[in-house]
Amino acid sequence: MTGDKIVHGIFFSVGVLRNGVRERSRKALIALAFVMVLAFSLIVALVGFGLNSSSQFGSQVVGGTFLYAIIMMVTYVLQKRRVAAGRAKRSVGRLILVIACVGVSLAVVLLSFLIMPLRPIVLLNAVLIGGLVLTFVLILIYDGHPILKERGTAGLIAEAGLLIVSGIVYMTAVSIWIVPYDPTKLGVGPQLLPPSPGFPLGTTYLGQDLLSRTIAGGTIMLEVAILSVLVCFSIGVPLGLAASFRGGLWDRGVCLLMDSIYAFPGLVLAIAIAAMLGPGVVNLALAIAFVYIPSYFRVVRSQVLTVKELPYVEAAVVMGARNREILLRYILPNILPSAIVLMSINFADAILTAAGLTFVGLGPPVDVPDWGWDLTFGWGYLISGAWWVITYPGLMIVLLALGFTLAGEGLNEVLTPKLKE
Amino acid sequence: MTELLRIRDLSVVYKTRRGTAYGVNGVSLDLEENKTLGLAGESGCGKSTLGRAIIRLVPYPGQIASGEISLNIEREILCGGGVIRKGMTNLMELNDEQMRSLRGCEIAYIFQDPMTSLNPMRSIGKHFEELMRAHDPTVKKEAAVERAKEILEGLGISPERVLDYPHQFSGGMRQRVMIGLGLALQPKLLIADEPTTSLDVIVEAQILRQVAELKAKFDLTMILITHNLGVLAQTADSIAIMYAGRIVEVADTESLFESPQHPYTQALLESVPDVSKPEKRLTWIPGAPPDLTRPIPGCMYNPRCPHVMDICKEVNPQLVPSKTGGLVACHLYDGG
Repeated sequence: MTGDKIVHGIFFSVGVLRNGVRERSRKALIALAFVMVLAFSLIVALVGFGLNSSSQFGSQVVGGTFLYAIIMMVTYVLQKRRVAAGRAKRSVGRLILVIACVGVSLAVVLLSFLIMPLRPIVLLNAVLIGGLVLTFVLILIYDGHPILKERGTAGLIAEAGLLIVSGIVYMTAVSIWIVPYDPTKLGVGPQLLPPSPGFPLGTTYLGQDLLSRTIAGGTIMLEVAILSVLVCFSIGVPLGLAASFRGGLWDRGVCLLMDSIYAFPGLVLAIAIAAMLGPGVVNLALAIAFVYIPSYFRVVRSQVLTVKELPYVEAAVVMGARNREILLRYILPNILPSAIVLMSINFADAILTAAGLTFVGLGPPVDVPDWGWDLTFGWGYLISGAWWVITYPGLMIVLLALGFTLAGEGLNEVLTPKLKE
Repeated sequence: MTELLRIRDLSVVYKTRRGTAYGVNGVSLDLEENKTLGLAGESGCGKSTLGRAIIRLVPYPGQIASGEISLNIEREILCGGGVIRKGMTNLMELNDEQMRSLRGCEIAYIFQDPMTSLNPMRSIGKHFEELMRAHDPTVKKEAAVERAKEILEGLGISPERVLDYPHQFSGGMRQRVMIGLGLALQPKLLIADEPTTSLDVIVEAQILRQVAELKAKFDLTMILITHNLGVLAQTADSIAIMYAGRIVEVADTESLFESPQHPYTQALLESVPDVSKPEKRLTWIPGAPPDLTRPIPGCMYNPRCPHVMDICKEVNPQLVPSKTGGLVACHLYDGG
């Protein structure tokens, strides 16, 4: 990839080349127009939410995240330009980025203390997480898009998945500041009102605004999904690596343990553990993580057993590589794609299991807005014709699961050099 | 000429369910510096096992039962297990960590199959970097990449391809990369285990020529393991013929092809087509190699040997000097 291409990012495909005008195809223009319209309507929606928010701080919070992202983006592009021009080293560029990130974050901390001396942490969280996610999205579109596009369909699938997930994470991060009504407040409107101008998605049987609940309901589910996947990935993968690489009695023992966990039906075991640990986000995540550890272990173990017999591992031994290097540099990268695919499926699965656990009453407290609770309480009213109560939260769960699956599936293909072409 | 490698009474056993198989049975071998020794024989005769035994990596369930492998080390090597001194060192006495630092650094090994011998997730440059850092953690990334470019250029691969992945190379290029990796740390001894078997003849000739050039450039000593006698005729200085885990004949390449001494060597050469004698019919060796788990008494070749005598079925012949200057293990030459 040339330096030019890196600097121009997404605008490369429609921009002007130095040594002649690049042909602007109709397709590219249509795509650009589509992206522009989409971005514009998103921004209008966000501004609209910000102005009509119940918290009075909506537009400030959204504006803050955008400002954060723009500052980070400009720093990123400038340092990239310097590095590409050879005026700065790569490490210096990274240092500049980190310094900018820390500096802007400190400014946000100070500002949030000034604006909201009573609950600064909540505001801080929203602006920091929202800003970081937006920065990620901007860099993904600007810099990642040309790289991903070169990899064909897989790259675009990965990009779409990442965009969906980041969109939902951003929405969740700033949710309580931009919702039109307090999502937990009862009787803000009539009960079970169908979608109408005042309440675009209708109301629940308790008279809560469904739009607010749909926007704010992802917090618990995202926390649970991310936490549980992190926990079981970081336990299952090293365990599988170590057991199958060492082999022998150790391997047998761990296998037996994992098989005995595997023997239980997943959801039943998760219910049992969640009931034992008690309600709460962390306990929910741990219960789900525990159920999924064996699947990571199994996949990683079988992969390692295949990979460690391959000639390139033997070649590494012959060239004097240490065991640690063989494990981390030769075996791990080759088994990681299958673990990552599992992770994406696992994300989707964890979301559904979390929804299931909430459904049986082992989830977060009732007064926390959650898609799972909306499903639990809403499904009884489906028969009486109130389809909207479970449709929108259900749609969000599907969308989030879809986003994770697309991202995982696409990234797997993008990250494996062999599938590059 | 100084001696580089000395093997004495090396035996490698495979403990299987059917019994103990002697993959290598009491082999003694001397190798001088800057020479190429060809190791030939039919499949399963123990030539690869012997090669593996030299780097002490006999594949499971094999193990080295007895013997001595001494390597003349020219430089002191620092490693986690202490210092390896200069001079003749018995590899059997080194611990695992010392042996590890010797592999790749003093002894390089090239496998038969270049298609799968490179890590598919790492670029070629990364392979070089990892190899160098495994032996010297202080090596900088840039230095390693520079060295990789230099080596690749020497092997006829354009240097900018260091960033490419193994699947972007052809089989011949991959084998050249493997050879480059083997030689990156300038080892003294290169063991090539059928390096060209899976390549076509044109690439084979290219690679053998390059290996010969590199051998002169780097002062290499080589052990070339193959079943292709034509390859050995081109490249080897001397040839050792193995049969059923034993060395039956060692001789200079020329004298081995001119006047083979051992009946097995004679039969082996008879079975190679010769374009200069189109009227010659190809012969084959009747019978099959013996079951290594049930060693037969006497000479292992006696059931297939046309010159079999009574003594052949009782006493195992020892290597004795032959009249062409080599060594031969056959009772035909016991009298002198």
